[in-house]
Amino acid sequence: MGEQILNQVVWPLLHIVAIVLPLVLAVAMFVYWERKVIGWMHVRMGPNKVGPLGLLQAFADVVKLLLKEVILPTNANRFLYYLAPLLALVPALAAWSVIPFGDRLVLANVNAGLLYLLAMTSLGVYGIILAGWASNSRYALLGAMRSAAQVISYELAMGLCLVCVLVLAGSLNLTDIVHAQAGGKGLFDWFWLPLLPVFVVYFISGVAETNRAPFDVAEGESEIVAGFHVEYSGSAFALFFLAEYANMILVSFLASVLFLGGWLSPFPASWGWLGQGSFLWLLAKAFAFAFLFLWFRASFPRYRYDQIMRLGWKVFIPITIVWVLVAGCMKYFGWVSVGTGV
Amino acid sequence: MIDPNLFQLVCFYAFSAVTVLAALSVILLRNSVHAVLALVLTFFSTACVWLLAEAEFLAIALIVVYVGAVMVLFLFVVMMLDIKQEQVREGFIRYLPVGLVVALVMLVEMLALIGVRAMHAVSMGADPAAAAGVSNTAWLGTALYTQYLLPFEVAALILTVGVIAAVALTLRHRTGSRHQSAGQQVGIDPSRRVRVVKMAAVRAEEPEAVQEETRT
Amino acid sequence: MITLSHYIVLGAVLFCIAVAGLFINRKNVIVLLMAIELMLLAVNTNFVAFSRFLGDVSGQVFVFFILTVAAAESAIGLAILVLLFRNRSTINIAEIDSMKG
Repeated sequence: MGEQILNQVVWPLLHIVAIVLPLVLAVAMFVYWERKVIGWMHVRMGPNKVGPLGLLQAFADVVKLLLKEVILPTNANRFLYYLAPLLALVPALAAWSVIPFGDRLVLANVNAGLLYLLAMTSLGVYGIILAGWASNSRYALLGAMRSAAQVISYELAMGLCLVCVLVLAGSLNLTDIVHAQAGGKGLFDWFWLPLLPVFVVYFISGVAETNRAPFDVAEGESEIVAGFHVEYSGSAFALFFLAEYANMILVSFLASVLFLGGWLSPFPASWGWLGQGSFLWLLAKAFAFAFLFLWFRASFPRYRYDQIMRLGWKVFIPITIVWVLVAGCMKYFGWVSVGTGV
Repeated sequence: MIDPNLFQLVCFYAFSAVTVLAALSVILLRNSVHAVLALVLTFFSTACVWLLAEAEFLAIALIVVYVGAVMVLFLFVVMMLDIKQEQVREGFIRYLPVGLVVALVMLVEMLALIGVRAMHAVSMGADPAAAAGVSNTAWLGTALYTQYLLPFEVAALILTVGVIAAVALTLRHRTGSRHQSAGQQVGIDPSRRVRVVKMAAVRAEEPEAVQEETRT
Repeated sequence: MITLSHYIVLGAVLFCIAVAGLFINRKNVIVLLMAIELMLLAVNTNFVAFSRFLGDVSGQVFVFFILTVAAAESAIGLAILVLLFRNRSTINIAEIDSMKG
């Protein structure tokens, strides 16, 4: 009895904590890193007062946000107003349960993992829409509408990218997808090579999905103040913030898992310890993608709304549809070797 | 010791209770946005019920298609239309008895029919996909792309027609709004925008001297 | 132990709720559309249960097609609704009577 409860309840809970706690810490450090990197790109110092090198700045921000009052605007819908941040955060965290961090190092090794991810990312839009509507504010509603339309449009392109990957891998299981990218040639066996256009489209769609610059019209502060979360303060705002950054890190991990071979080493297996797969490789790849998010933000001016929609519908979706066909041909005629190293 | 069968049954009752309550609030709630959200909850908990029947592909597809796309569309429309609530609620009390009677009679009839079968209730049996040694997705996909290929193509066609029809119905060209045409922007002739003028260099004595003065 | 009857009863209850919804919300087109979605959901639940019970894939394939067609239906339905509201600024069915002879 006691052993069963330990196996069925305590261990899964501990695993969940082992994923969520580092994730929250990673978000905190990522915020610090973002401010530092963008500071350097602007030729300034970035945060450097709180703690050594400003390392504790993020924690100071968290404490500040948690101590602030959560303001409820007049005529706001109380229930939905408080529900919205949770609806944004829960899918962002739930999606992490199927990410494989290493061989057999995954919380839930489900067969339909990729579908599950698609479902979870499509749920995140509810938090945004409800926040915008329940705030009873014009700016918030405008931001929510923009954001929801953008997220749904780019989800199509993103879904088609995933279809290309699963056509090549022949599985919806994320661990199997990584195994399908293993081979003797190291990084030339990964899916980024046969699916190069899709890889680019996927990452840009990921940036648009998370409403990050240069696709951040949803919260473009020069036009609609802060978009859907303009009325939120204190810990409710902190939840939105956490959800957005958790989603950014999720997109970075997913791009690494789907196109850059997850935990696999970029070097051939014959290179000794350099050729061994490890969690550290996945971390390094995801870090590179996360850095791209910041680089984009510092480099590009904001797209206009109709330009975003045009890019999504008239450029990305046709490209991915054509490449689904190409991927099908690759698989059918055996142009790519899949999973030779397993 | 937790009996897995009992646990499944408890889960089924919990999910069904949420489904039924959410469905009731869909038709009873006053605020349309709340009704749409209740429908979202209905779909979500029904997906959970389907998962208990090991129809994992359809359950997740229900969430992706309905919760992720169709209900967002509903929410969009409800939020954008300025609906007066008291106006659409009129007749609610008047039709309530009729609706209740019809629904209850139907329910009783259907339950009676089901009750006949339930006399010799049989369990669901083993998962057919697992019995065939494949995942539910592969099981469904194999049937879809072989036996049902033509209906599948027709369904795709229906969806395409649906998209085109929805766009064609709601598209309107407002007069006076300014659009950017990317095709025109790319296709312009540079010689019409910038005129390169060749002229001999001219030395201007006076202004330069003035500039020197202001600089110092 | 979950039996087939459990699923069918759930489907029946959902279907009857949808029917009641059609009756008591006769004025609001949006709720009518939502009640239709509920009916399809009830039917789909039955299909899923029978597919599992009989071990036949056709039931699940049928659910797939119903989902597809219902998605297209609601997209066009909402488009018509938006158009209707734009032209007549009401979604009350009783007021949409310009085709009356």
